[in-house]
Amino acid sequence: MAVTMDPLFLAWSYFRRRKFQQCSDVCSKILQDSPYDQAAWSLKTRALTETVYIDEVDVDQEGIAEIMLDESAIAQVARPGTSLRIPGTSQGGGPSPAVRPVTQSGRPITGFVRPSTQSGRPGTMEQAIRTPRTAHTARPVSSSSGRFVRLGTASMLTNPDGPFINLSRLNLAKYAQKPNLSKTLFEYIFHHENDIKNVSTQFISKTHALDLAAMATEHAQFKDWWWKVQLGKCYYRLGLYREAEKQFRSALNHQEVVDTYLYLAKVYQRLDQPITALTLFKQGLDHFPGEVTLLTGIARIHEEMNNVTSATEYYKDVLKQDNTHVEAIACIGSNHFYGDQPEIALRFYRSRLLQMGVYNCQLYNNLGLCCFYAQQYDMTLSSFERALSLAASDEETADVWYNLGHVAVGIGDLTLAYQCFKLTLANNNDHAEAYNNLAVLELRRGRIEQAKAFLQTACSIAPHMYEPHFNMATLSEKVGDLQSSYMAAQKSEDAFPEHVDTQQILKNLRQHFAVL
Amino acid sequence: MSHAFTVQFVRAAMLVPIFTLKLNHKINPRMVTVGKFDGVHPCLAAATQAGKVFIHNPHTRAQRQAAHRLSQSAHDSDISLLNINQAVSCLVAGSLEPGQVGDALLVGSQTNLLAYDVHNNADVFYKEVADGANAIVLGKLGDIPSPLAIIGGNCALQGFDHEGNDQFWTVTGDNVRSLMLCDFTGDGKNELLVGSEDFDIRVFKEDELVCEMAENETVTSLCHMHGSRFGYALANGTVGVYDRTARYWRIKSKNHAMSIHAFDLNADGVVELITGWSNGKIDARSDRTGEVIFKDNFSSSIAGVVEGDYRMDGQVQLICTSVDGEVRGYLPASKEMKGNLMDTSVEQDLIRELSQRRQNLLLELKTSRLTEGDAQMGVIPANTQLQTALCVKAATEAQKAHIELNISTPNETIIRAVLIFAEGIFEGESHVVHPSVQNLSGCVRVPIIPPKDIPVDLHIKAFVGGRNSTQFHVFEITRQLPRFSMYDLHVDPAAPQPTGIVCFGINDRPQRVVMWLNQNFLLPEGIDAPDVKFTCLRGGGLLSISMQPSGEITLKTDDIDLAGDLIQSLASFLAIEDLQAEADFPAYFEELRVTLTEVDEFHSVHQKLTAAMADHSNHIRTMLVQAEDARLMGDMRTMKKRYMELYDLNRDLINEYKIRCNNHNALIACLKSVNQAIQRAGQLRVGKPKSQVIAACRNAIKNNNVNALFKIMRAGTASS
Repeated sequence: MAVTMDPLFLAWSYFRRRKFQQCSDVCSKILQDSPYDQAAWSLKTRALTETVYIDEVDVDQEGIAEIMLDESAIAQVARPGTSLRIPGTSQGGGPSPAVRPVTQSGRPITGFVRPSTQSGRPGTMEQAIRTPRTAHTARPVSSSSGRFVRLGTASMLTNPDGPFINLSRLNLAKYAQKPNLSKTLFEYIFHHENDIKNVSTQFISKTHALDLAAMATEHAQFKDWWWKVQLGKCYYRLGLYREAEKQFRSALNHQEVVDTYLYLAKVYQRLDQPITALTLFKQGLDHFPGEVTLLTGIARIHEEMNNVTSATEYYKDVLKQDNTHVEAIACIGSNHFYGDQPEIALRFYRSRLLQMGVYNCQLYNNLGLCCFYAQQYDMTLSSFERALSLAASDEETADVWYNLGHVAVGIGDLTLAYQCFKLTLANNNDHAEAYNNLAVLELRRGRIEQAKAFLQTACSIAPHMYEPHFNMATLSEKVGDLQSSYMAAQKSEDAFPEHVDTQQILKNLRQHFAVL
Repeated sequence: MSHAFTVQFVRAAMLVPIFTLKLNHKINPRMVTVGKFDGVHPCLAAATQAGKVFIHNPHTRAQRQAAHRLSQSAHDSDISLLNINQAVSCLVAGSLEPGQVGDALLVGSQTNLLAYDVHNNADVFYKEVADGANAIVLGKLGDIPSPLAIIGGNCALQGFDHEGNDQFWTVTGDNVRSLMLCDFTGDGKNELLVGSEDFDIRVFKEDELVCEMAENETVTSLCHMHGSRFGYALANGTVGVYDRTARYWRIKSKNHAMSIHAFDLNADGVVELITGWSNGKIDARSDRTGEVIFKDNFSSSIAGVVEGDYRMDGQVQLICTSVDGEVRGYLPASKEMKGNLMDTSVEQDLIRELSQRRQNLLLELKTSRLTEGDAQMGVIPANTQLQTALCVKAATEAQKAHIELNISTPNETIIRAVLIFAEGIFEGESHVVHPSVQNLSGCVRVPIIPPKDIPVDLHIKAFVGGRNSTQFHVFEITRQLPRFSMYDLHVDPAAPQPTGIVCFGINDRPQRVVMWLNQNFLLPEGIDAPDVKFTCLRGGGLLSISMQPSGEITLKTDDIDLAGDLIQSLASFLAIEDLQAEADFPAYFEELRVTLTEVDEFHSVHQKLTAAMADHSNHIRTMLVQAEDARLMGDMRTMKKRYMELYDLNRDLINEYKIRCNNHNALIACLKSVNQAIQRAGQLRVGKPKSQVIAACRNAIKNNNVNALFKIMRAGTASS
């Protein structure tokens, strides 16, 4: 006669092993027999929440609506170096755009892709909507609706009996009184119910979460830091940043928790006050010396403000504390590469990142480049081959082929280079850099019309890069079309004001026009 | 008390501005300041429309490189805007933290106070202030070691230090409109002067009230001149100067004084009072006499007058701004000019005096010529004296309850007309009675209804003469109206007994209390024992005062304000410094209890409404982006649909906003009455017990402990 395990114990065991679907099934069975079993209800709620739980701290996607229509930052035009919106001039002595590629906002490309550093701030609504909306670079329409449609899976969980908890009929006041149930219920509403696509239910669920949190905080006589943090998170989602700030600060007064510091820093970043965020992090470091997440936060802010040297310093601190921190390694590596020290970069990428078990196309691509520029030619091609085989999408393949093209140019094999760039374009039609380089090659072969066409495509795809404009200017001047040369040279100057050659062209042209 | 209505004969010198700027932003009146935000260059900061503050910084134009990304014209690039997103109600710049390099900008609105470091684009602190911030001042107060940002709101004053901790809180009589820090008592520490909407200027030494000066209109601005002298401006166009509690001079104009400032414009070492008026005039008046020394004209109303070294040339300029965005700077007159100005003013003084004397003499000559002709007219018996009597008259069907001023002559002369001049009783401060020719008599009765319980001086001028005379003698007499005149000794025995009661003990003989009663009440025969009952003519309730031989006094009245006034008056008469009292006003406390529950309800509704509105606006933003998307794709039908949805959402949002506004206004009214209740509880005590009661009440409210609040209001101390 087999002794069956107590069903609740079985469910709990499934939960521990992260088999959430089975756990929730067992709980449903228990609830069918005894519908008032609080333990089973609580466990099922937690299981459902864990299936869609996203750590709020790291994710910070700003939707188009937030960027264009947001006025919560105090200073519309802050002093350069004190705002996240206007990158300062490279005060840290970092490489100029001639050496290190820049993104649309003028910030150099960092070593680590983060959700918030996608493309910079577009100037008009039209620009914002028109930027390529592929999976990598797309911006959701608004963070409250966009993110969850993308990442949530609960909407795909079909529940034959209808939703587990019917929010509109829930008596929140009753649940607020029971501390053991209210916390699980809150997490459920906050994370799970947001995935419903229906706008009106979304509307209700957010305010429900807020109501529950408000009632529970009152019940705990405003002394429970956890509820204050949850209240703050609700306000943050709703866009009421000042209220969120108030709640987080008051939670910090009760109990110093690292997470609260991180949430509060996010609020300050949305308010565009990086220096306040930095002082906050330093305060946090006083209480939690050497805490890696706080150090990473500081480093990220410095990077966003274009302080590459300070950022590197802090990343080094991070590595001292935590040798395995992938982001730090990657950022330091790319800084070294663009700072003309490919051997050190190689050390970072090969020995540290490979050892971390990072095994993807991007790493091998970087390795290939570092090897080439560090003159370790034996490793170069094999790394690129590996990269190609690991490429998960067409864009990655395109990037690898593009770099291979550069290598080919470096060894002087122009036909190989030509073929590589063509392959890049085959994989990714919008690769502006490839168009530009192809144009240069065509020019060498003497096919001016082709070159012009490529350059024009490049200019229209990537108006923030100065190279296509500069090339266009030079080409037009050679051909004798001074007017278009002048216009192109101006665009190039806009993109990269300190470029000496552009200024040379402009000077020549102005002299010509003066003579006319 | 001198009330000088001087006529301005002197032609003041015109002032030539050293620099003029035209900024493209409107400036809100009374919200202008100058601060050194980077520690070195003074910049003008002012509040403008749509909840924004602009900062004008003309100094860094040379340093800024032409960044094409930020396309701004050279002029506009001097101005940076700050989004406050709320209606700004006050603004000041100054150093909040002793070690900091730059000044902080403090912006107050009806719900929040923001201290912002402009140079680093970082908040110093952002605090919610429930009572609103109508006026703000920055500096050191009394013994508190760190500089405070002191804001005055609806009946309350709060002071914050650089970390945002509130180090100072007290209640005052009514909404605060202006604040000023100066060493009033001469003890080396600053006191806080508060101008409120109940027409009083109060002086606080930290949270203790030192003294009070009563004016007759809302005090809209206060500014420190030097020593213990300060200038003030009222809402009815009066501007004047006080030295401690004595008023030096004042002038009245039909325009409003928008802003006052103290600045030495003629380089004579003494500051003048610079006033900016609502019709665009600026004038500088001498602080001793009030005569105009300089003046200038703007094309629109003045917004603010500040001073600073704007041109960075080592000299401080007076900077005047108008609401249209015009800014002018004036330098103090140089030394050579000083001599000329002094001479001209002395000459003009002389001319004015002489011409006035000439006029007087001419008038006398004319009248004496006339009297020579008609010798009979205008002669009255030599011992004619004007008699005045005051008595209380209860309400009848014909007239409301009032005090009757009876002016009479003992003989057969008649009174042709009476002019009564008194502050605060009549509209326009004076009252003229001229009975028609048929009703001329030797006795004139004037009803007076003083609106508040304050002592008033009545200056009476009466025209006395014979029955048929055309010339009259003018008699001048001054009569003081006692403080508690509107209280009638005749008590209706059927009237209900008051439920409110206050008991306190004094160490003084009953005779002294009798003296106080005789002085402050209108008692026709005087009384000998301190045991009286009155009927309040204003409200109709009863007031009873009684004293035991042990020194314990009991006041019975339903009006807690009256009880407070009586105690304060008695305490100042008997020179009592500290007085503890026990009180119970059941009807009033019940109202207060109801108000407190209402406050809680409003708070929770407010939270819900805010969240709902925020969510709504997120939807609107999403919808807007989607509509734009549709338009860019050329999908007109979807675009139209989205815009229609947007229209509906917008309308809903506006309705929600209206509801929220109403809720907020109701909440503010409740909070104000709570603050007033604390104030009234404080008025029932004197000295240290008063501050203790106020502080204890505030703690009780902060901790949401309603029962403790009532206990404190009754017993005077918190439960131990």
